[in-house]
Formats: sequence, C-alpha cells, structure tokens
Amino acid sequence: MVTQATKIPATLQVMRYDARRGTFKVIVGDPANVPREILAQRAAEAMRARSFICHTTDDQDDALLGADEICFIPTADRCEIVSIHTNGWRRHHGDHRRSLVEILNDLAAAVARGTLSFLDDEELATVTAEGREIFACTIDGSASLAQARAAVARVLNDLDVDSDARRRLELCVSEATTNMVVHGGGEGTMRLRLVDDRLRAIVADRGPGLNFLNWTEEAGGAGQPSMGYGYKIILDNLERVYLHTGAEGTTLVLDRTI
Amino acid sequence: MLHTRVETGDIPVIYLEGEIDLDSVETFRWVVSDAMRGVSQVVVDFTGVTFIDSSGTGLLVRFCLDYKAQGVQLQLRNIPPVVDDVFTMLKVRTLVGDEAFLDG
Repeated sequence: MVTQATKIPATLQVMRYDARRGTFKVIVGDPANVPREILAQRAAEAMRARSFICHTTDDQDDALLGADEICFIPTADRCEIVSIHTNGWRRHHGDHRRSLVEILNDLAAAVARGTLSFLDDEELATVTAEGREIFACTIDGSASLAQARAAVARVLNDLDVDSDARRRLELCVSEATTNMVVHGGGEGTMRLRLVDDRLRAIVADRGPGLNFLNWTEEAGGAGQPSMGYGYKIILDNLERVYLHTGAEGTTLVLDRTI
Repeated sequence: MLHTRVETGDIPVIYLEGEIDLDSVETFRWVVSDAMRGVSQVVVDFTGVTFIDSSGTGLLVRFCLDYKAQGVQLQLRNIPPVVDDVFTMLKVRTLVGDEAFLDG
C-alpha cells in the first residue's frame, strides 16, 4: 500500500471582536487556542490606536497569542483579528516570492482601508443577493478561464465600460477563477451582478476552503504561498473584495464601479 | 491560446502571440526551457501578447532569476501596455532587474 505523508498547509483564522458586547465570533478557520482576555486586550489597544497592529512570534508574549502571526484591525466598533498558523512552513523566503508575513500584512492593510471584508454566512447571503444578475457560467478547468474572461469582456462592452476598467476587471476575474481552478477543487461558478453603479463578480467553489494560503511545496524547498501575486492584483485593482471561506467552499466577491 | 515561434541562432528569439494564463503557462514553460538549452542568452518578444496574468508573470520572474543564477540571460522586449501594466503591478522590473528589459 502506498502511503502519502500528510502535509498540513499554512492556515488562516479570522475572528471578529465586538467591543460593545465584549463578544467574539469566528469567521474563518478554527479559533486559536488563545485566552480571550488577551485577545480583547490587544483588540482594545488597536482600537485605541485606530490603526492595525500586527504581532509576530518574535514578540515576547508570542506564546500567549497562539499563532505565528496575528493582526488586530479596528473597524468602527469592532476589531477583526486575523492570524496565520504557519504549521512549519517558512514564514520568510528572502527571495522574490511573497512571504506569509507579507501576505498577512497585505490582508490586514486591505481590511484596514476597507477594501477587503471577511464575511460570515449571513453576510455572504446578503452580498450575493444584492442587485441583479446579468451573467452566469460554470468554470470547469483551465480551458474555461479564457471563456470567462471573454464573457466579462462582452458584458462590459455591452455596458459601455471604459477600456481601463474593463481590462482590470477581466484580469481580476481571471485571477479569481484561476485560484478556483488551482485550489478550489478545480471547478465552480462565476456570476456577474449589477449593484447600483458597480459590477459585482461572484466566484464560488466547493473546494476545501482556506485554499488561498495553501503552500504548494514543502518547507525547506522553494515553497510558494498560492495567495501571492494573484491576490495582490485583486486587492490593488478593486474597490471592494469580500471573502467567505470554509469547509464547504470559498466565495470571492469582487466589486468595481463601472 | 498561446502561439509560439522560435527564431534560432546564436541568440534565439521566442515570439509569443496570444494569452499567457494558467491554461497556456505550460506551453510557455516548455518553449523557454527548450530554447535555453546550450545557449547563454535568449530573447523573449512579447509583441503579440494580448493578456498575461499572475501565473505567467510568476513563471517569467522565476525563469529570469533562476537562469540569471546559472549565468544565462533571459531578456524581454517589445512589452505591450497590457503586459507592462501587470508587470508594474507586480514590480517585475524591481524583481528581475532593468537589465532584463531590452527596450528600457
């Protein structure tokens, strides 16, 4: 019998701290085994400072934080707590590949500036039902990617969207659908909706979830986080990005004014 | 769909035409690896490229750096705006060095 060593990917956890109620809600992943009073204290610090604060294992009290990297990101009266368990994968590469630390910091910055939101089930249902659907298709492999791009181009052309916005939306949809093909079980759906003056692309798969931080190669090798360049393109070119991920799949919602 | 044509010689030139995405990145990988065999310099001409995404850009950056470490030069030329935009977003010139770009 052939056995294969189990490789646990680096994973992401997101918790939401409601400062008024003093409650926590798990949005993504399994909550870190961290005393809640410590999390509340750190969240309150970030909220007082009105800026996101990231801690690493180099910090003196890292053991209490229970994660390899953890960021506290205040938004209005709550604080998003985003952390990474590296599970033995290297945090830094020291070369051209984006490191886990960079990725977490980029995520935290995107949440802080309002570009990225992590959604719970209820929020996902609301966001995916807003506006009206104008296109839907199935993605079932890499050959579908060009078809998805062509469909987006046709829709945007019909809506008389300028070429710069069209190109950026096509690129971002391509990155999201590529991510789905590579890490989201290989297939899923892409839907386009008009929400007021925005185009909303909804890319959904039924993959294993948390797929955007899976590493493709083993530690010590030339490992590369899959959430590298593609997510950078998405976060840099869109006004709002919503992410819902769990054991039943991942949904990425991309918004841009057209 | 990506079409490739290789002009052989002391410095082979690879002409690319079409889209470089996840679906065509293996073609890109194969044609560059093949052209690099036994030479110290290869030029990649992007004139006909109409789309590139992070899969294609990531592979290109890896190629440039890996070959550079082996003393082989992979040089890029005729980058159209649609490709240059993505290269700018991903800071490709900083990663691989300006010397990899033949037309500045």
